[in-house]
Amino acid sequence: MRSKVFPALGFVVIISLSLSATTARRVHPARAAIVLPQTRKASSARASAVREIDAEGLKKLLQRGSKQSRPLLITFWATWCDPCREEFPDLVQIDKDYKARGLEFVIVSLDDPGDIKTGVPQYLQKMHAAMPAYLLNVADPEPAIKEVDAAWTGGLPATFLFDAQGQIVFKHLGRILPGELRAALDKTLNVGR
Amino acid sequence: MKNYRFALLLALSFVLAAAAFAFGSGKANSVSIGQPVADFKLPDVDGHEHSLASLKGKNGTVIIFLSAQCPVVRAYGERIEKLAEDYSARGVNVVGINSNVTESTDDIKRHISDNKFSFVVLRDKGNKVADMLGAEHTPETFFLDASNKLVYHGRIDNNRDATRVQSNDLRDAIDATLAGKPVVKTEAAAIGCSIKRG
Repeated sequence: MRSKVFPALGFVVIISLSLSATTARRVHPARAAIVLPQTRKASSARASAVREIDAEGLKKLLQRGSKQSRPLLITFWATWCDPCREEFPDLVQIDKDYKARGLEFVIVSLDDPGDIKTGVPQYLQKMHAAMPAYLLNVADPEPAIKEVDAAWTGGLPATFLFDAQGQIVFKHLGRILPGELRAALDKTLNVGR
Repeated sequence: MKNYRFALLLALSFVLAAAAFAFGSGKANSVSIGQPVADFKLPDVDGHEHSLASLKGKNGTVIIFLSAQCPVVRAYGERIEKLAEDYSARGVNVVGINSNVTESTDDIKRHISDNKFSFVVLRDKGNKVADMLGAEHTPETFFLDASNKLVYHGRIDNNRDATRVQSNDLRDAIDATLAGKPVVKTEAAAIGCSIKRG
């Protein structure tokens, strides 16, 4: 009895997970078309030194597709956002665990530009965050939002995983579920090997 | 027996796959531009039930998803009340909805009194209306014309900092509709706080 039920249940789980992953890809066909070189400037930001970024800078940051490109995990957050603060320790741990495996992880704050030298770096220091940190300073956030994902309406926090070709392979709006994100990272980073 | 069990598991897999599809897309349901919004009933902070039909304006209705704790909504408090005052005389009513499970009735009452909101704020405890409309964050607006068709969905304007506002998207949509003209920009995104669903 058990030997028949377990493979069948496995089948159910595999079908569900594969369809879920397909959904994440299907929403973003336009992403694959963006194939531009990665900038060194974008990846050299330091943890508590928060860099200001505009819509054009964000576009460059998202660019994948060159031979040197790695999968990119990007989280949009703000110090004033409760679920963003709740998920932050998990993100810091994920950065530590996956950096050596080839993941590029950046965080983009939507705090007020006036907090770029105070509230944001202070929070990052307190959380021992080592991933490159940016603050999006734009009068109109819509072009930046749509550059990331046409289906994203701007709710925070929002986390997107792009593969090395620039295709969204996973996204989560709201507080991340660490197990779910880790499974997506494992899958994406294993594919690249 | 074996075939029956396999069929049952196959059916279950499709149910789970459908659920994965719905959650993977980030929205339970949503209403598209041009589609009518079905009537709904929700209680206000005093427990009195209201329907959309009873709150709608003669010339249109603005539904705004609110949060008592979201700093972005707090930044828009004055602008939201001004919008309600400006348009109520022109037959467009504002209806606030709070769908956050993390916020208490007292939180919402305080939010209403702090901002001196003149419009009704409804409690959407089970996210019924947020799911129906596909609302994801606060503040997020849905402007319905006189026949309850959705004509605009998205932000109030382009920046939570009132001094950096360049594009009054919601007001533009209302003004165009009142003038009998088509709405040029029917959707616009903005940064906000995710709705805390149950």
